[in-house]
Amino acid sequence: MKKILVLLLLAVFGIYLADVLFSLEFGKQFFTDGVKDFYLTKGPLDLKVSNTITAIIVNFRGFDTLGEVTVLFLATTAMGGILYKKRHKVGARSVLFPSSQIVMAGSKILFPAIILLGIYVFVHGHLTPGGGFQGGTIIATGFLLMLLAYQDYTVSHKVLTIVESLAGITFVVIGLMGLIKGSTFLENFMPVGTLNNLFSGGLIPIIYIVVGFKVGAELTGLIYTALHEKD
Amino acid sequence: MVGSPILFVAVPLLAAFLIPLFGFIWKELVRIVPGIVLLYLLILSVSLYIQVLQDGTIVEQIGGWAPPWGINLVFSPFTGLLTTLMLFLAFIIWLYSYRFKNVDFEPSKKYFILLLMLVTGSIGIVLTGDIFNQFVFIEIMSISGYALTAFYTGRDSAEASFKYLIMGSLSSMFLLLAIILIYSQLGTLNMADIASKAHLMKPEFRVLALVFFIVGMGIEAEIFPLNGWAPDAYSQAPGPIGAAFSGIVVKAGIYSIIRVTFTLFDVEGTMQFLVLMGMITLVVAEMAAIKQDKIKRMLAYSSIGQMGLVLVAFGIGTEEGVFAALFLMVNHALVKPLLFLSASYLVFNSTEKSIRELNGLGKYLPLTSFLFALGAIAIVGMPPLSGFWAKWSMLTAAANSNMILIIGLVLLVSVVEIVYYFRVVNRIYFFKKEEDVEPKKPTINAMVSMIVLGILIVTIGFYPDLITSYLHEASESLLDKGKYIQDVLSAGQSIIQ
Repeated sequence: MKKILVLLLLAVFGIYLADVLFSLEFGKQFFTDGVKDFYLTKGPLDLKVSNTITAIIVNFRGFDTLGEVTVLFLATTAMGGILYKKRHKVGARSVLFPSSQIVMAGSKILFPAIILLGIYVFVHGHLTPGGGFQGGTIIATGFLLMLLAYQDYTVSHKVLTIVESLAGITFVVIGLMGLIKGSTFLENFMPVGTLNNLFSGGLIPIIYIVVGFKVGAELTGLIYTALHEKD
Repeated sequence: MVGSPILFVAVPLLAAFLIPLFGFIWKELVRIVPGIVLLYLLILSVSLYIQVLQDGTIVEQIGGWAPPWGINLVFSPFTGLLTTLMLFLAFIIWLYSYRFKNVDFEPSKKYFILLLMLVTGSIGIVLTGDIFNQFVFIEIMSISGYALTAFYTGRDSAEASFKYLIMGSLSSMFLLLAIILIYSQLGTLNMADIASKAHLMKPEFRVLALVFFIVGMGIEAEIFPLNGWAPDAYSQAPGPIGAAFSGIVVKAGIYSIIRVTFTLFDVEGTMQFLVLMGMITLVVAEMAAIKQDKIKRMLAYSSIGQMGLVLVAFGIGTEEGVFAALFLMVNHALVKPLLFLSASYLVFNSTEKSIRELNGLGKYLPLTSFLFALGAIAIVGMPPLSGFWAKWSMLTAAANSNMILIIGLVLLVSVVEIVYYFRVVNRIYFFKKEEDVEPKKPTINAMVSMIVLGILIVTIGFYPDLITSYLHEASESLLDKGKYIQDVLSAGQSIIQ
């Protein structure tokens, strides 16, 4: 009886929700003076950034990105803190299986290529699709491949912590420099260059490189912690 | 120029990223730095608050873009009051937990980073003027919350944390849906801009967005029936974190609901809805509290009940009602942490943490027991402590709006509160101590932090006028929606031209 009631309630709610959402008519424009036109014109014109999404994420709403970077940092910290007691000593790990010769040899060739691709993606974040988060994730997959292929492959936790911290500090310091040099936090204080050049967009490439390092280090740390968890 | 509101977010973030590096240099720095940061921010917050009361709201732009396009922080008499309150509590909690996990370096490092971020997230929620930015801060706050709940890495704390995680993820999803709905209709994310354009939204979208918001934030603000995570999280988290949840996190949740209902949308009947939900929360939570035999669960349910009371007071909708709600919030933010902090020393060595184990501790831990009793008297609203004035202003506000039912209910619930709090106080002072209980003396820093809270409660009780003028300023600033919109949007226009 109780279940039927719950189902009925959910059905009523669902019908209402569907009714409202279907009347949303995706693709149709509801508003005239939203903020999007401002972004679309200011992005290429003032900031000289051809990838408008990057301009929005890193410049117009850069504060959100700082927050998202912090969220990832916290997730890593949390995982490290919770799994702390369950961690094996250095070298020992929970996933123990020998990889085949093909995987071991192949990953050695692929590893530099993956890292290079990751770096390419975050360095060109303001020109092509992608950016710091994507590039960092690609780098972390490279380390994941190495960790899976070689049982004795280790990453220094200390180095990861230092990279992660320095990247975070750089982001905040860049923001504070904006406050000192300009008048507001995270304000662009560097020359913007010309559209479609590698050196363009002012602070955007720098912030994305920093984010790339940070995300790469953090995700690698997460994978490493999870691999070394006791059951 | 003393500083700008952005420092409330930037400095703790910088500190959080620096703490792991400090750990390599000198381990004690990991404990000291958060305290210095919190003290600095507290001083900054007080001086900014004084400046705001004289010169009016500060609107801080970020990234050099004016409000509808960029993100902004708003330091008004209302948000400033909450920021100062949160920072004060954060400093007290830091002081209390200074020697926390002294033997283990790695967990204590994480603990201080997460505590700092929990506070930063809550302050960000209060200060920001942008709904998506608020969402980001909610994420920061709740992820630190999940981690701190699971801090003791036992089976129960993992379960509590998992429960909180599931509820919190649901909350994020609802908030994101609300934000998407609003953006699809108005094309803006700035709160002031939304508030000035909200009438352009179709009514069904407006109602749906509001419902999603209230459900999403209701989870953080512990409104019934969305508060299933709270008692578990409060009782499994370390003692100071329980205090931080009740004093800081919940306040941020309430703030968000209030901002959305008072400023963003004025949908007909929202106030009645707040009163109704508040009353249900109040009654259910107090009924549950009286049945608990674990001290921290009892305090958690009492905390939920108090939040219901705050919602009822906000729902009255008049200036008096908002004033009473703020008074209740301040009172709860000072008293509940005191109760949590003293209770966690009273049950320090026990595994069950049940009320039975508090028997007769009055003789062994006289000062801690006294502070607990003081908190209990303040929270039920007995004169001459701060709780009395808070409840009194709430009852007058209700009486002036002819809401007789609320008065009756609040008085009835107060009786229930008296029963379960005084049952505990009675056990502490007039029962014989259990054989197997070993009392643990609080450390000096913990004692100091509890005594500061105790002194504040007594002072406000005898001189309520010390804070009422600030509360009046804050409630006026909350209710004056036109001024909020004008403050935020005009600051932008002058820069553009």
